[in-house]
Amino acid sequence: MTLRKLSALALLVLLLTGMLAACAPKEETGPVTIQIYYPVAVDAPIAALFNGYIEKFQEENPNITVEAVYSGGYGDVKTAIQTTVDGGGEPPALAVMLATDLYDLVNAGYIRSLDDYIAADEDGEAYMQDFIASFMENSYYDGKTWSIPFQRSAVLMYYNADLFAEAGLEPPDSWAAWGEAGQALTQKDGDEVTRWGIEFPSGWPYWLFQPLAIGNGQNIIGAGDAEVYFDDPKVIEAVQFYIDLSEKYGAMPAGVQSIWGQAPTDLASGQTAMIVHSSGSLNTLLEQADFEVGVMPLPGKAAGTYASVPGGGNLYLFDNIDQAKQDAAWKFIRFLSEPERAADFSIQSGYFASCKGAYETEAMKTYMAAHPQVAQARVALDVGGAEFSVQNLGEVRNIFHNYLQQAYNGELSPAEAMAAAQAEAETALEAFK
Amino acid sequence: MSNKLRIRAGQLGANFLTLGLSLLWLTPVFWTLIASLRPADDPLGRGNVWFGYTLTLANYWRAWSMAPFGEYYLNTISLVLMILGVQLVTVTIAAFAFTHYQFTGKKALFFFILLQMMIPTSALLAPNFSTISKLGLFDTLLAIGIPYFGSAFGTFLLRQAFLEVPRDLVDAGTIDGCSWWQLLWHIYLPPSFPTLIAFGLSSVIWHWNEFLWPLIVTNSTSSRPLTTGLVRFTQLGEIGAQWSLLTAATLLVVGPLFIIFLIFQRRFIQSFVHSGLK
Amino acid sequence: MEKETARSKRDRYLPYLLVLPTLAFVLLFTVWPTLSAFYRSFFQQRLNIAKFRTPTFIGLGNYANIFSDPHFHRVLANTLRYIIGTVPISILLGFFFAMLVNRKVRNIGLARLAFFHTTILPMVSAATVWMFFFTPGYGLFNTVLAALGYAGPQNWTGSPDLALLAVMIVAIWKNAGYYMIFYLAGLQNLPTPLYEAAGLDGANWWQAIWHLTLPLLRRTTLFITTIAFIDAFRTIDHIFVLTSGGPSEASTVLLYYLWQKRFEQLDIGFSSALTVILILVLLVFTITNFRVSEKGEEDV
Repeated sequence: MTLRKLSALALLVLLLTGMLAACAPKEETGPVTIQIYYPVAVDAPIAALFNGYIEKFQEENPNITVEAVYSGGYGDVKTAIQTTVDGGGEPPALAVMLATDLYDLVNAGYIRSLDDYIAADEDGEAYMQDFIASFMENSYYDGKTWSIPFQRSAVLMYYNADLFAEAGLEPPDSWAAWGEAGQALTQKDGDEVTRWGIEFPSGWPYWLFQPLAIGNGQNIIGAGDAEVYFDDPKVIEAVQFYIDLSEKYGAMPAGVQSIWGQAPTDLASGQTAMIVHSSGSLNTLLEQADFEVGVMPLPGKAAGTYASVPGGGNLYLFDNIDQAKQDAAWKFIRFLSEPERAADFSIQSGYFASCKGAYETEAMKTYMAAHPQVAQARVALDVGGAEFSVQNLGEVRNIFHNYLQQAYNGELSPAEAMAAAQAEAETALEAFK
Repeated sequence: MSNKLRIRAGQLGANFLTLGLSLLWLTPVFWTLIASLRPADDPLGRGNVWFGYTLTLANYWRAWSMAPFGEYYLNTISLVLMILGVQLVTVTIAAFAFTHYQFTGKKALFFFILLQMMIPTSALLAPNFSTISKLGLFDTLLAIGIPYFGSAFGTFLLRQAFLEVPRDLVDAGTIDGCSWWQLLWHIYLPPSFPTLIAFGLSSVIWHWNEFLWPLIVTNSTSSRPLTTGLVRFTQLGEIGAQWSLLTAATLLVVGPLFIIFLIFQRRFIQSFVHSGLK
Repeated sequence: MEKETARSKRDRYLPYLLVLPTLAFVLLFTVWPTLSAFYRSFFQQRLNIAKFRTPTFIGLGNYANIFSDPHFHRVLANTLRYIIGTVPISILLGFFFAMLVNRKVRNIGLARLAFFHTTILPMVSAATVWMFFFTPGYGLFNTVLAALGYAGPQNWTGSPDLALLAVMIVAIWKNAGYYMIFYLAGLQNLPTPLYEAAGLDGANWWQAIWHLTLPLLRRTTLFITTIAFIDAFRTIDHIFVLTSGGPSEASTVLLYYLWQKRFEQLDIGFSSALTVILILVLLVFTITNFRVSEKGEEDV
């Protein structure tokens, strides 16, 4: 009998505590949990780094909890968010997505503009002014500010400086010099190539291609949000140059090179003398290579000219979520872009720091003194054009990729391919003109 | 005599062919295992793709720490068991109805269900995605599993098996006053066991391996299965292809199912053989 | 008396009740989506373009767009090549493997294991491993081919001529063992006396296969053909990992194209029309196949 009573009592207590626990969160209005989607694939160092920032932020703001969702690459994050919103789920408060996704995100009504937050912050104006200008190119649309640069990179050429020195070669300063250097550094054993002069990934080709076009004086996009110049003679010439690197100079594997992930390792292990890749690979390369790694923007066509293009991700704040979450998310954005943190992120990850202030910090100055390559990489930003961003980006980019790869693979001549790309892109952009 | 010799020679040739093809077929798995034990700072190169300078398990620890494999495992296992549990019930009772009873519209209903075999669920992922979101199931394990709760394939298979059960036995059971579920449980099911196992294992393998549908209807760690977790490793982002890491992650995903299969393989293949799939 | 009627009444409804769960799920996830895709295929709706976010009726507009879309033609051609290239070869291999391992030889179980183990491998894992095999330069596939005298392009996943072949090779490697099991089941259920008779007659092995085994396994072959065909349409996981449909759509097949249109480009109308086309193709094939198999039954 007593046992029964006791268990009844225990049950009652359990029920009560259960109810209390269930009620508890409702009584306090403070705690907010926000999610941030972050595109890392296998980059555990970056995920670990980012988790560290989150911890620090939560210490400073005990009523905010930040949950990071690391899900694949940029494309995966975008698709995941699209399907989430589309599937009736709640979008995250924040996401790092390609800077160039701007128009699609605004058109779909996923993101909200940041202007009210910037205006409300006392130092808002100064905060915005401190970002490196070329990283802000894709943040404005429709007279509003939509994103904050965060994980930014640029296209670079990395080279094995030891091999250059052995061969008595200078880093190339023109297309012709580049092709010849590549030719000179290609090594063969009979018919088989044992070391390439250049590896130039083109599985997802627009980004690495852009510096070639810019280096010839014509970017593939214009100032408007629906302007493309795929069939400009200078762009066609740039396509031809990519083909020439393998056909004329024999310095590069023929056709499309689906070797994005493999290229840095290939340079580090001596399978190639040069690679074209993201500045985000700098740290990995500095760690892996047992030779001096040279870093520079891509040579332009004319002697003494160089070109690059920025890339990477910005922070976007989502619409259709609670005000409290948006406020917390904005706080986190500000936290992430403090100069000290931006400097630390750059030093630890290899990405650029997004603001000028970061380069003035002691930590950054010390680091750059030890690794001159970091400063060399930054030169790329001064010679960079705008990254490929237009309305209806997904479709237009697909069109461009499709024909660019057909040209690379010799299925169409560069002129034919680019003319076809232009025509199809015009159709896809018709509705936006 | 010469005939016998010829047969012997033929047998021997077949043995060598079997051995050669088996090894060829196994090469990818051998390589995966060896590469996963290669130190990460010893990148692959021309003519140097097998053993590194030493063997290490470090890749496994690193891969394990990089993605919440524990959670993914739990999700995959719950998913597979959930689907199998529901399927075994729905399939058994439907097959029983189609075998044991005569009723109006039987043929039409059976054909209707067979539609699911002709139009695989994967082809319908776009409209099914809308259904899932309307049901409010987005990003749940249930969302991954629910389209498969009814199985035309299973109903079809099990009905074939039930049809083989001797009519006399069924009649005897009916005369003894068995209720429908007693008939099903004691008379129909026991001889159909191999079919049930064959179907169950196929179901487990298929759903353990499924990728595209979970990729679409889930987005958080708490509901994503192993396959979608693995893909995080294949999209290498901005750092180099780390084959040793990638292969270790692959084996983390594949390993348990492989081991289970090795233990049950004889049973598995036998049940296929006896399941009346002919 | 009353009890009796209640029972028979219940018995009358019972089969329907038993079929109901399966039927309900088929209705909800096969029939309903088919109808809804059909309905939506008459509307233009694109979620990432502000002015097309709400659906507008455009009649057969989506179908007109699809059939005049050069990409669709390429995708259709790829799909056909993929099916013709994978289905017969993996079935033949499956049969061949089954013949090899259906012998009473020591350790033959290990060979079965070797051929069958690919079946339990997730396609994404298989593709991940093959990604290495196809790597230009040091990838094992290239190394072996080069040793055999192959001098063609090495860049399998980046070449327009080889990308589709690359994904086909993975599919064949993965599926042959699965089909082997069905053939093995078929072979083991064949009457052995028949063979003994044939053996005593000194009948040639090949003749035995041709005149005895294959005809007896006709139903197995039809069944395997059906599942192989459906699988060729629905499994695209390896394409995600290996080629993302590229280069220049050289390895984009129907379902991958559909996925891109629906989930990357958020084009609801176009993707619904594609779904309808995919369903029609599948139905035409499977119904033809069932017809053929039924006709075969009458012949026997």
